[in-house]
Amino acid sequence: MSATQTILKEVKSYHWFVQFMIVLVLVGAAAAIYRFAFGLGATTNLSDTYPWGLWVAFDVVTAVPLAAGSFTLGAIVYCFNIKKLEPLIRPAIVTGFLGYSLVCVGLLVDLGQPHKGWHVLFFWNLHSPMFEVAMCVFAYTTVLFLEFLEPVGEKFGWKFSLKALRKIHMPLVIAAAAISTLHQSSLGTFFLIAVEKLHALWYNPLLPLLFWMSAISCGMCIIILEATACHKWMGQPNEGVLLRTLAKILPWTIGAYIIVRVLSLIFLTDNVLFDDPTTTKLFAAEMGGFLVAFFMFCTNAVRNNDSLRALAATILVFALILYRFNVSIFGMMDWNNIYYPSTIETLVTVGILAAHVLFFVLIARYFPIFVHGHEEEKTVTENSTEPAFSHN
Amino acid sequence: MMSNDSSKQNTFLIDLTKCTGCRGCMVACKQWNQLEAEDTHFFGGEGYQNPAAMSEHTFTLIKFRDSEKNGKHSFSFYKEMCMHCDDPACVSVCPVHAFHKTPEGPVIYDSKRCIGCRFCMVGCPFNIPTYEWSKGLPLVKKCDGCYSRIKEGLKPACVTACPTAMEYGPRDEMIQLAEERLKKYPDRYVNQIYGKDEAGGTSVLYLSSEPYEELGFQMVTDRRLPSYTWPALRLVPSIFVTVGAGLSALAWFNHRKDRIAEEKLDAVATENPAKSEEDKS
Repeated sequence: MSATQTILKEVKSYHWFVQFMIVLVLVGAAAAIYRFAFGLGATTNLSDTYPWGLWVAFDVVTAVPLAAGSFTLGAIVYCFNIKKLEPLIRPAIVTGFLGYSLVCVGLLVDLGQPHKGWHVLFFWNLHSPMFEVAMCVFAYTTVLFLEFLEPVGEKFGWKFSLKALRKIHMPLVIAAAAISTLHQSSLGTFFLIAVEKLHALWYNPLLPLLFWMSAISCGMCIIILEATACHKWMGQPNEGVLLRTLAKILPWTIGAYIIVRVLSLIFLTDNVLFDDPTTTKLFAAEMGGFLVAFFMFCTNAVRNNDSLRALAATILVFALILYRFNVSIFGMMDWNNIYYPSTIETLVTVGILAAHVLFFVLIARYFPIFVHGHEEEKTVTENSTEPAFSHN
Repeated sequence: MMSNDSSKQNTFLIDLTKCTGCRGCMVACKQWNQLEAEDTHFFGGEGYQNPAAMSEHTFTLIKFRDSEKNGKHSFSFYKEMCMHCDDPACVSVCPVHAFHKTPEGPVIYDSKRCIGCRFCMVGCPFNIPTYEWSKGLPLVKKCDGCYSRIKEGLKPACVTACPTAMEYGPRDEMIQLAEERLKKYPDRYVNQIYGKDEAGGTSVLYLSSEPYEELGFQMVTDRRLPSYTWPALRLVPSIFVTVGAGLSALAWFNHRKDRIAEEKLDAVATENPAKSEEDKS
């Protein structure tokens, strides 16, 4: 049997959902090729008025906080020494690694000169938030890659590399948290230059701090969603007890974010806040999302219930997405000349999202990312011929 | 307010009351920079200029505004171009230093470095940089103040072509000239030199008979744009060290219990050497 046939046979054995994700990724890749063949102007709705659109707003400014779970959890488990959460670490690292790799892919599609992307590493401009973020994303993707090597090393039995990796484990965790703090906040610094462009509801000097604080809560919520989904659809054990611990931390981080957000609105904003009904509605939806999630996570019944906890996490994630879109698109929109993403832009972004889900499922299928900490289940998983995400 | 310390930099003084709207500057700019003609269309809305906006093919544009003054219809022109700020946002936000404020005055762009991220377009308070949207691998385009001409001792193409409205010279002299005109003809002008303080001072100055906002000028802060991002960015090294050291200390402190337990185990092992040898084998 040739290699192609083997792969085709393997793909045919996947669940229909995974096959659908493969189709979306291929369509996204085709859309990206189309963009390079016909130019940004012909394939996107970007213009001199809207130089940044969906690709920057979602694939970079939103995707980075969505991948914040890894560094947050690393700090919680190893620095605050809450060891029992360790089983959640590996899936979080995989999500982080995938997330950041796909941020790089998204950036390359959006850049006018992707072949010169490496220039950032050589022509340093310390005054540029983009330089800051690019360097951090590069460094952090490397850190995540090293952390991701652990399950890979286990799979292929690389004893030496495993030993070396365990030695640099703590420095990696701390570097991850420090680097992430910098670039999560620097994404907010991006928009500090848009002084007269960004609406007063979102423009204020604490934007970097707010981006960092909201990213921490979002990262934890993504972990809750991921573990819940893995339990529901991938036959993994229920981590409800651990997620409850995480849900107990969340009211503190979300609460702190809301306090800083409200205080900065009251004390650090110069211009009129509520002059336009559209921006006011967007702000209300965003703030409402954070508040609802906050009160839900404050409630015992929600924290202890798998579905309600996942619902609260979903609400927070959507509130964060809206926050990032408000800052990067809606808050700078001229409502008489609205930007909306073109079909090609949408297909590329959907393809990147699908790639994330697809690669996560495939990595979970071929690498030991769930075995850690579940010694009793370990033998079951290893001996099981039933693949992750199988037909039932 | 002392807006800048670059009083000898070459500066444009554009007196809009003297502009006849001949667009000689636009033609000269296109010729010098070898820019393509544009396929233009009639468009609705404010202004009857042609083309509607600046683009990768048009680095300067005469905009047209009509208004009512003392019950009479009046119209005015506004020459849009790069303002060549003293401390430009594009220079500060560009991740690869593709922009550069020259000592002579113009803000120039190095296309060889540019990665095409378009941060300059987002950062520019005057919305000047444009992009080659028609291309697969686009670059940024903008007025470079005819830097190559200035290096040869010539004036910019648009200034050379302009029959009436443009002066070009050291910034302090241009400001002096503008102030003299304001003093001499207070009825003719709005009492403001646009560009003197805007964005911390620019190398393009305007005089106008109409309020600048009504002409479609951007209302821009007097602060230098990079001063908005630098307070956050300058904290980067200290935040990195603080978070790194803080978490390290926290980890050390929180792992203390584990270490004490381990030390106890080691102590037990040294008390029973026979057992520890067994462990080794």
